[in-house]
Amino acid sequence: MKTFRIPFGPQHPALEEPINFIFEVEEERVVNVNPRLGYIHRGIEKLAESRTYHQNVYLAERICGICSFAHATCYTQAVEQLFAMNIPERAKFIRTIMAEMERIQNHYLWLGFTAKGMGFETLFMYTWRDREIILAVLEMISGKRVNYGVSTIGGVRRDITCTMIEQIDDKVNHLENKAKYYKKICTREQTILKRTVGVGILKPRDALNLCAVGPTLRASGIRRDVRADEPYAAYGEIPFRVITYNGCDVASRILVRIDEIIESIKIIRYCLKNIPEGSIRTTVPRKVPEGEAVSLVEAPRGEDLHYLKSDGSDKPARLKVRAPTLANLPSLCKMLIDINIADIPVVIAGIDPCIACAERVVLVNRKSKKRWIYSGNELWRYAEEWYRKK
Amino acid sequence: MGMSNLNSIKTQLKGKVQEVVVQRERRLIVRTVREHLKETMKALIALEGFTHLSTITTVDFGSEIEVIYHIACEDMLISLKVQVSKENPTLTTIVDLIPGAVLYEREVHDLFGVKFEGNPDLSPLLLPDNWPDDVYPLRKEWTLGRISEKMRG
Repeated sequence: MKTFRIPFGPQHPALEEPINFIFEVEEERVVNVNPRLGYIHRGIEKLAESRTYHQNVYLAERICGICSFAHATCYTQAVEQLFAMNIPERAKFIRTIMAEMERIQNHYLWLGFTAKGMGFETLFMYTWRDREIILAVLEMISGKRVNYGVSTIGGVRRDITCTMIEQIDDKVNHLENKAKYYKKICTREQTILKRTVGVGILKPRDALNLCAVGPTLRASGIRRDVRADEPYAAYGEIPFRVITYNGCDVASRILVRIDEIIESIKIIRYCLKNIPEGSIRTTVPRKVPEGEAVSLVEAPRGEDLHYLKSDGSDKPARLKVRAPTLANLPSLCKMLIDINIADIPVVIAGIDPCIACAERVVLVNRKSKKRWIYSGNELWRYAEEWYRKK
Repeated sequence: MGMSNLNSIKTQLKGKVQEVVVQRERRLIVRTVREHLKETMKALIALEGFTHLSTITTVDFGSEIEVIYHIACEDMLISLKVQVSKENPTLTTIVDLIPGAVLYEREVHDLFGVKFEGNPDLSPLLLPDNWPDDVYPLRKEWTLGRISEKMRG
């Protein structure tokens, strides 16, 4: 049997993180896969060493456009650890509310992408329409739709007022009803079930060995979430459920995220009801003491880790960032083996990378070196055709 | 972190590590040497409550490079530290113990030049294919100016 090599990516102008996978395929089956990163490696860790601690809050926020609040919070927590300081209770609640709103917008965005990946464009349009609602709320609080600039060393920079609380209530009620409706669709609609049930299997054992994180791990039935395991911000005071599903496939990854939207809404409601009065920020000393800190945050895509080392100067000696997508890549490679070419887009989308699809695909016949070039759209069309014939 | 847990960790690591320090709440630092890295890692993986390897961090200490394995357990995060010299930065791989470490080792190899003996694939993960061999961008001696000079020249 002939083995083909298919480079998948890396150029993709629309999404944040271009990546390249080289797939080796035998007829329709993927037999091996090799990822290659670095196409938009921006050298942020190096850059952080030449900026002050406060400047780095904004730099950390720009690591990812979608999980910006998670990165900013993770970084500020690390600095707060170095100061051995506590932030005001009200600031903790505001951080929690912002983090959950970010999760909601991320999961709606992801659901849309995944729907598009399986050719269900109507659902894509619906979820992105609803995502606008939560973006409007985020804009009302912070003044921005992305990179909110809310988290800072010692607390937060924006307060949530009483009038805002009323408006947020209305909006999240609407979003909760929508999420319930999408859950009904995703458990009953044949278009979705045919493309996701049993596709992209990641067994619990593999998920653990390959150090998967976030919804990808929880869809393999493992109950792990930084918010519950190492409560930061106000999570220690809030009752919430860690969502898990046992399907180990793309369908479970969809259900985990939809349920997380509903759970996030409950967390936001609880926070708005119980938010304590008081200041939102404490003044921090000028000089950061020598030392090192490791901070963890449950970003929408999973565990986010920042390591920070201070040598007593005004700039960090080292900032190390491990975003959740890198942690999930080994698991993704495992899921991709032994699947059909037609399932590649939906399985890659399943881990919620910053790269849900690739711009173009080149098929290479290893023996004759013959090439076919496919655009991302053509690959989707190919996948849809293939499923129609099946 | 429970005192009993800490004591049991200390007993299990005895003879393999140089020190075990509680850094702050839920944070533990374990220091070992290259020769004992693998045994220490095995002992930590065997701990009750071990969950996963979060990542591998590297810090430049001038003539030494410190490699930190962030090991997540249920009730704490352990930083396992080991130093290697810049002259000969080699460590044994841990991918046979923790398959999920495969990309972290490649990342450290790219950016700091630490070689992991036994890792089947240390080809560039992040750096471009035409990147010069001896330039490790996150080492302190490679300032931004020096790197761009080298790339131009």
